[in-house]
Amino acid sequence: MVNALSAFPFLTAGDFDWACRDLADRACGGGWPSARLVTQNGIHLTITQCVDVPEATEGSELEVQELEDQDPEALVRTDLSPRLQIDYDIVLSPTYQVPVLYFTLRWHHYQGPLGLDAVYQYVVPEQYRKELKTVGVMGGISFGYHPQSGAPAFFVHPCNTADAMAQIADARSVNPGTYLIIWLGLVGHCVNLHVPRELVASDSPSPS
Amino acid sequence: MENQTPLVSLQRSVWAGRIPLEIVLAPSESRSYDKTDPYLISYPRLSYLPSLLPRLRAFFSPSLIEPSSQHHDGWFAFEGVPLKWHYPVGLLFDLYAGADPATKSCVDSQEGESPLPWRLTVHFSDWPSEDLVRLDPDGMVMNDAFINSVKEADFLRNGTAKGIMSLSKEDSAGLWKSVEEVNLPSFQRISNTLLPPLSQPFRNVPIRIFLPLPPDEESGLLKVVQSPLPPSIPTSSIQSSQSIGSRSSPGMQLQTIGGVLHTLLPNLFPSRRTPVLAKPVLHGAVLPMSALIEEVVRSSAYGDGWAYVVVRMMG
Repeated sequence: MVNALSAFPFLTAGDFDWACRDLADRACGGGWPSARLVTQNGIHLTITQCVDVPEATEGSELEVQELEDQDPEALVRTDLSPRLQIDYDIVLSPTYQVPVLYFTLRWHHYQGPLGLDAVYQYVVPEQYRKELKTVGVMGGISFGYHPQSGAPAFFVHPCNTADAMAQIADARSVNPGTYLIIWLGLVGHCVNLHVPRELVASDSPSPS
Repeated sequence: MENQTPLVSLQRSVWAGRIPLEIVLAPSESRSYDKTDPYLISYPRLSYLPSLLPRLRAFFSPSLIEPSSQHHDGWFAFEGVPLKWHYPVGLLFDLYAGADPATKSCVDSQEGESPLPWRLTVHFSDWPSEDLVRLDPDGMVMNDAFINSVKEADFLRNGTAKGIMSLSKEDSAGLWKSVEEVNLPSFQRISNTLLPPLSQPFRNVPIRIFLPLPPDEESGLLKVVQSPLPPSIPTSSIQSSQSIGSRSSPGMQLQTIGGVLHTLLPNLFPSRRTPVLAKPVLHGAVLPMSALIEEVVRSSAYGDGWAYVVVRMMG
């Protein structure tokens, strides 16, 4: 067990910093080439994915592809079918003291609206749509401002994260790295961000 | 907080605060370029700019080059900077207008060019998607942003957001309506169910500190400082000579605005008692450094429960 969490189920800024660096290190070792650390205006972890949106099968199950390279040139492909680029940012909330998943959308080879409707149509897997849409004023995803860049960004509501983490993680064995992986497993899937098997496997959870 | 009455009367004054606005239509969107009559209004500091859009759209409709635009296509700018609509107008004024804050000694001694009325530009096309979240015709996006902010304040005060989450749909909608309509009695009725009683201190005090904008800043990116702020901290960590009030338990000291600023921004606030290089501004007035942070929020928070303090350089 490496450094236990002093504030579990919350994360301190120090824990979060450690967890982001740890995850970024391990991600480039396999499974998640696009994960990268951003240290401007505070630290956060960015993961980029692209979704193919074939016009003919709009709204059907989408194929998620991990970007092989962060080089923007890599986005230019020979076939010009519409693609949706999703940039996920994992940021620590100074209010809730838990990680928050922000994301922004960008079309390639297509001009289309990028509001909440697009999020539910192209980003949220079908099985979570109904559940997410029915909570709060506008559902479990809001359009707000990225706390570090100040730019408009979607985010998954974080106000129940600490309770959920307390339920599923074991306070005695969880460390910053495993906290972030468990959290991603909890929050990521509803917006199509999945933890690569390689990262979980290399995580050696403590036997219980 | 034995003396509850001053806090209540302070809150009444804060809710009564207004700013004269002069809103012009963007010349590029007007049939008469810059000859369109401006829209003048005395607008509550606690209100949000998009609530004006239906009126503005109607007022400017004869002048619009693009007649098909709708009120929720509207956005505001000050000197070319798109204004974040989710901040109350009083905060935007304190941040951008460059007005000298009021102090006890000088009520109105503005020299040179007066920042009043505050001159804003309204646009109904070319939404700045890089800067602003889009609005919707029914005001749901604004309502959602407000409630999210209320939730954060509630979480800080109580250590949980269960209060606002368990608010009935009517009360949740009513809270937003009371702020939109600047209706203090109706606001108090609902917000009192969210606030811990006076006898019970907040867990943390919802304050955000906005740093001065560098001159000639085009990006409009605001630097905001937020840190967990308990109403009182152990005495050892601050100067013991500054003992205040009987409400603090032994070994604990109530936190002041000056103390918090000195701790978080020691370069701008080398003293916890006297503003030397910069001063804290809230609702257009200089905040006393000795003000207790919990009292500031209980009396002078915006409708979402936050005190947004703007740091202004002196001299």
